[in-house]
Order: sequence, then structure tokens, then C-alpha cells
Amino acid sequence: MEVNGKPGNKLFRVCIYRVFSALLVTFLILFTTNVFAEASAAEQKKKGEFDAGKVIIDHILDAYDWHIADYGDTHITIPLPVILLYEGKWHFFFSHKFHHGKDAYKGFRIAADGPKKGRIIRVMDDGITPDPNASFILDLSITKNVFSIFISVSLLCWLLITVARSYTHCGPRRAPRGLSAFLEPLILFVRDDIAGSAIPKDKVDKFLPYLLSLFFFIFFNNLLGLVPFFPGGANVTGSISVTLTLSLFTFMTLHLFANKEYWKHIFNTPGVPVWLKFPIPLMPIIELVGIFVKPVVLTLRLFANITAGHMIILGFVSLIFVLGASGTALGFAISPLSVIFIIFMNFLELLVAFIQAYVFTFFSAIFFGMAVPDEHH
Amino acid sequence: MELVTPGIGLIFWMTLSFGLVLFILRKFAWRPILSTIKEREAYIAGSIRDSKRIQRELAELDTTKEKLLVQAREKADELLQQAKREGEIVINKAQQQAREEASKIIEAAKNSIHAERKAAEREIRKQIVNLTVDMTRRVLQDEFSDVGKNNQYVEKLLEDIQLN
Repeated sequence: MEVNGKPGNKLFRVCIYRVFSALLVTFLILFTTNVFAEASAAEQKKKGEFDAGKVIIDHILDAYDWHIADYGDTHITIPLPVILLYEGKWHFFFSHKFHHGKDAYKGFRIAADGPKKGRIIRVMDDGITPDPNASFILDLSITKNVFSIFISVSLLCWLLITVARSYTHCGPRRAPRGLSAFLEPLILFVRDDIAGSAIPKDKVDKFLPYLLSLFFFIFFNNLLGLVPFFPGGANVTGSISVTLTLSLFTFMTLHLFANKEYWKHIFNTPGVPVWLKFPIPLMPIIELVGIFVKPVVLTLRLFANITAGHMIILGFVSLIFVLGASGTALGFAISPLSVIFIIFMNFLELLVAFIQAYVFTFFSAIFFGMAVPDEHH
Repeated sequence: MELVTPGIGLIFWMTLSFGLVLFILRKFAWRPILSTIKEREAYIAGSIRDSKRIQRELAELDTTKEKLLVQAREKADELLQQAKREGEIVINKAQQQAREEASKIIEAAKNSIHAERKAAEREIRKQIVNLTVDMTRRVLQDEFSDVGKNNQYVEKLLEDIQLN
């Protein structure tokens, strides 16, 4: 087995390298062409007018259907389920009923403008005018981001459970191989450099599963967000709802495990002059604000970083069409430069994907470390 | 504005998904992975400790072996020396005994020779006396015809000679 396994294994590895490099090349080509296609469709619609801001925002925002490509005037999209609770009644239907936002269905439509732009609103019988008496719509639709989360979560679970199985199968007396060898440095990085450096040694194990899941979820979704075609392409970690949820998880975990020292530190900060606490409780107020600032900062940092990265890449793509609108030759002339910048930005975003996952996890770990200080100081 | 307004639907599904991820990964991924890594680390640390201990023991064994070899050589030398000494003693003893034996034999021979000589001397003397007496008797046959008287005389003469 061992003797036969070696050359086969090597062949397999060579194949994997080839597939990876092929994928990388396709990824770069498809990214540019795909965006070209979509951007050109937008261009056509406006008849020569290219609205870069609209294209960029459309790519960054969540959507009720998953737009894959345009072919001529045909939009290739995956319709996603719309789930609404309105006035105690559930409504289930697929998003293609809206015809990409052009039509109303069952008295609902996607708002084209106004404060609720892009969200589902109740309309009058004419199908256009927003209903001024409409009550609250609970919108639990499986949007593009939700669907992307489902895909990435399934992939993540499958990947990590496969790895876990290989660990149980091979036992502790064997060096990790294959996927495990790829993931183990990351796992050890989270364990030793993130959790180990921020949380007291004896309490690391309590937070480690959460921190690992958090790190891999963010990292995985950041990477998927960079893949321009179907299973990727959604701006999951650049969505404020997602980052808010993640930081709320950190917030909840923090206060679930926080010990007495933590609360004492907030309401009666040691080593601070008394006049800062009494009669005006200045320090407690600052510390209390700090509790809520932490998740907000986490939310905004991840959201802003990922969104900005996507915007810059889309901006370079749009540059071609903005210039192309004023002259085809100019568009062609600028495209090599744009493509070079896009490639550069993609590599930068690969780095950012890792750094932001690291930063979010690291700050969570630091907050956990502050929540469970040693009792004796 | 839409960019920075959280949506309830997305938050709901995200909470559900991420909660599930936390639960599933905690139970089916992190627990086995982390415990295996921990076990492996303990195993590696143990192996390193063992190898160090074995090295130390080997070094100790080496010195013990050297010591034993030296001791064995010393012992062998000592044994050899002792054997030599004992051999010499045995040889000496044997020589001594042989010498003693020889001297004893010589002594005995000497004694016997002495006794023989004495007897021979006595015999010779007797013969001489007898010859003399005979001669004398033949010379003095007539004068000393009486045998009894002669014998008395011979005895007296013998006594005299012996006294001499």
C-alpha cells in the first residue's frame, strides 16, 4: 500500500496544483469578463450612459435574486424564495415574480427609491404607489446573502468535519496530511497566537471553539466573496447585518462567561481616583459605553474593510466603461491598466480576507480575555 | 442608506446559520481536532523526554561499561599476578620438599653407610683379631695348647682393643 501509494500521491498532488493554477487563471479571467458582461448590460440599458456608482452599489448590496449573467437582453438569474409575514399572514413565493423589480406581486414590490429602496414594500392596487397605511412587513426572504451563507456554511461544515474525521481516523501519532496539513497551521494560529495571547491559559479552552468557528466563518466568506461567479460573489462579510450578528455573538459570549472581576472593573474601576466615580459616576459611564462600543466597532471594521475592497475592484472595472463611454478607443486603452490594478487588488483582498478574519477574531479574544481576568489582582 | 441599514431577515438567518455552525463545528469538528492535536503534542513532548532520558541512560551505561572494563582488566591483572605468585609458591614449596626429601635420603644413605662402615670395620677388626689370634695361636701353639685358656685370653685381648 505504502509503496504503491507514493507515486500515486505525487501524481495526485501535481493534479491538484494544476487544477489550482487553472482555477486561479480562470478566476482572474472570469472575474474581469463577468463584470464586463454585467457592466455592459447596465451600459446598454442607459444607452451609452454608464452609471458607475449604481453598478458598484448593485454589486455590493443584497438582492432578492441571484444575478449570474446577462446574455443579450436575457438576465440569467437564480430566483430565490421570498418569505413575508404581513398582518399575521405568511406569503411564500419565488423572487422571479417581481421580474427583477419591475412588477408587483400580491401587493408587494421591491422599492425602487425612497428610504426603503431595495426592500420589499406594500403597494396600492395600481402596483406602483407605496401604501401609506401599510403595517410592518417581517421579511425573512432567502436573499442572495442568506443563500450564500447557507452555501458557505454547508461547505465549511463539510470541510471541517472531513478534516476532523481524518484526525480521528489517523490518531495522534501521525503528522497531518492533505487538507488537515493545510488547516492545522490556521487552527494552531488561532489557538496559540490569537486565543493563547489574549486569554488566560486556563480559560482558553472555553472560548476556543467559538473563536475557531468565527475565524473560519469570516475567512471562508471573505474568500468566497472574492470569487466572482456563482457560489461566491455575494458580499456576505461586507453586509452590515452579517457583521452585526457576528459581533452580537461575540457580545453575548463575552457576557455569558464574564466573571465578577469584569463587572467590578466596569462599575468600580480599580486604580482610579474616587472623584471620577463619585458623586458623578464618570468612569462607570465611560466603561458602560465601552461595552456597547466594542461590538459596534467590530461590526463596522469588518463591514467597511470588505465593502471598500469590493468597491475598489469594481471601481477599476467601471473605469474602463466610464472612459469607454466617451470613446471606445479610450476604453480599450485603459483596460490593460485597469486589469493590472484589478489583479493587484485581488491579491491585496486575499490578504485583507485573512487579516480581517484575524482582526475580528483577535479583538473578540481580547474582549474575552478582559471578561475573564484572574480573580487575584 | 440601504448599505448601512441592517435587515431583519438577514440577521435572522445569519443568527440561525451561525448558531448552527457554532454547535455543529464545536461538536463534530473542533472537539476531535483539538483533542487530537493536544494528544499529538503530548505524545511528541513525551517522545522527546523519553529520547533525552534514553540518551542520558545510554551515556550512563557507556561510563558504566568503561568502568566495568577497567575493573575487569584490573581484576584479570590481579588474578594473573596472584596466579604467578601462587605458582611460585608452589614451585618453591615443591623445590623445598624435594630438597628436604633429597637431604633426608642423603642423610639416611649416610647413616646406613656409616652403620655399614661400622659393621664392616667391626668385621674387619674381628677378622684382623681372629687372624692375629690365629696367627698368634699358630705361633704359640705349643705354649697355648689349652683352648680354654686361649679363649679367655682372646676375650681379654678383645676387651683391651675395644677399650683402646
